[in-house]
Amino acid sequence: MRDEAPVSPVFKAVAMLTLVLLLLPVVIVVLAGLNAGEYLTFPPKGLSLRWVTAFLGSATFMSAYIYSFVLALVSTLISTVLGTLASLYLSRSRSGAAAALRGFFMLPVVLPGVVLGLALYIFYVTTDIGLARTFAGLLIGHVLVTCPFVIATVTASMVGFDLSLEEAARSLGASPWTAFRKITLRLIAPGISAGAIFAFIVSFGQFETTLFLTVPNHEPLPMAMYISLRYKFEPTAAAAGIFAIALVALSTVVSSRLVSLRRVFRA
Amino acid sequence: MSDIRLVNLTKSYGEGNAVSEVNLEIGEGEFFSLLGPSGCGKSTTLRMIAGFIRPTSGQIFVGRDDITALPPERRDIGIVFQNYAIFPHMNVAENIAFGLKLRKMPKAEIARRVEAALKQVGLVGYDDRYQRQLSGGEQQRVALARVLVTEPRILLLDEPLSALDKGLREEMKFWIKDLQKKLRITTVYVTHDQDEALTMSDRIGVMSKSRIVQIGTPQDIYERPKTLFVTSFIGHSNVMDVTVARRDGDMVVVSLDGHEMSARGAADLQPGTQAKLVVRPENILMGAALGETGPRLAATVLSETYQGAIVRYRLKRGSQEIVAERQNQAHVERFAPGTEITIGWDPGWSEALTA
Repeated sequence: MRDEAPVSPVFKAVAMLTLVLLLLPVVIVVLAGLNAGEYLTFPPKGLSLRWVTAFLGSATFMSAYIYSFVLALVSTLISTVLGTLASLYLSRSRSGAAAALRGFFMLPVVLPGVVLGLALYIFYVTTDIGLARTFAGLLIGHVLVTCPFVIATVTASMVGFDLSLEEAARSLGASPWTAFRKITLRLIAPGISAGAIFAFIVSFGQFETTLFLTVPNHEPLPMAMYISLRYKFEPTAAAAGIFAIALVALSTVVSSRLVSLRRVFRA
Repeated sequence: MSDIRLVNLTKSYGEGNAVSEVNLEIGEGEFFSLLGPSGCGKSTTLRMIAGFIRPTSGQIFVGRDDITALPPERRDIGIVFQNYAIFPHMNVAENIAFGLKLRKMPKAEIARRVEAALKQVGLVGYDDRYQRQLSGGEQQRVALARVLVTEPRILLLDEPLSALDKGLREEMKFWIKDLQKKLRITTVYVTHDQDEALTMSDRIGVMSKSRIVQIGTPQDIYERPKTLFVTSFIGHSNVMDVTVARRDGDMVVVSLDGHEMSARGAADLQPGTQAKLVVRPENILMGAALGETGPRLAATVLSETYQGAIVRYRLKRGSQEIVAERQNQAHVERFAPGTEITIGWDPGWSEALTA
């Protein structure tokens, strides 16, 4: 008896091609960022750390990088908490409202980012509630966009969750909060961290919604890269891209490590 | 003194009642079963005792304390679920230690008690295993150990055997009963399986359509069913249409197609009314086995089914089919299909019930 059916060579080839296509832009950005030439070109005219140094020395880019990082971190924290709470409700409530709300929560993903950004901008300006072009206003936009990713992954991890586990903990003497913390939270932790990683990546790379909501003179990294490229076609933007990719890759690796470590030690 | 007392316990969902006015007293150390078909309200009753469902009205007492409003964690009631609910992210020892840790017990004491609990359920050396490495029977033992180690006042068991295969179910039935007897812990057991209820219980409460229809010892429930529902739910029965002729002391005289016969009967049976006469298959006597008293009726053997320990007959009496069972013992008389025979029963083993 065979363990698995062999994978057909055609299937393998298609998979390889897809992988190459997905990774190619990353390679291009990295190589462009390491360009030794004066302008953003591909293939690069020799390799050097010239533009990486320029990025690290650029006050505009560095502050944009840090700004984006903080923005992504805060919106990830907020949407992870909100999204997890929403998922708990959505997966446990049997009311018709929950079913309707599920679609509603997912709306920001379906809606074009530009439309969402514009809508928020108009709302902020016309209501004059002091959110237009502020960090808080931008943060709300990012939470709206990132929350559905948390909801989707956490809800998926709640499928088939056995409520009697929580009940067993309760009758053994655990308060509702303790039972949630020691049982439910531990079991859906992989879903939550996957959602948080998604949220962080989406927020960090968010462009369209951000377009209308940025605080003057405080551009997040994607905006800063766009502006830089519009006025001077310098490889600094590509160098910034390298760091953006590095941060996303790092956060993914670190978070997945954290989750599996927790599984090993079961604190 | 009763250990658990349910007073007019009711749970309604929208229009209908899941549990209606259940009144029940369960004694200290008693093994009490709630028996009924699915949807009869037995699980809802158990979950109200555990504190997972808030009753619409009525009260729950444990000893002298009204616990109706207490959350589950403050009731000191242990529950074993149908699917055992072993925490999958903890090993066996951590599962069992869960309740003790919440009670802020010293580490050494926890370790000692966990070890003792594992010994009690026969799982010494299983400390490091996880739920996925345990069989159904082992999971059940862990679930029991996890509950018993906290020494709860009351033990609730929600269909704990239904997920096991038949052989193991038989074994666990006696094991649980023995453990319960040894610990003298007041136990409420929910099941839809009459064999489990009859074998394990001190008393049984039969539930149907959100109500308790009869409470009694296994013998009472089996031999003296008060309603047709109890008769049909527990074991097989022959049910015959009769007319009540008159009362005769404790007994009642009924007429079956003109044959008058004595039967045990409820006091509310009025002469002249229709009733049902109930006789268990094993109490139908045939041929030479017929006793001195009781009815004598002509019947034809339709079929004989050999089942090893018992032989089962389908008989035709008048227009009705009757099932009879006899122990397959040495020298027992056997009847071929088509044989004309006389059947009857002991009046003390027949029950007249309101139609």
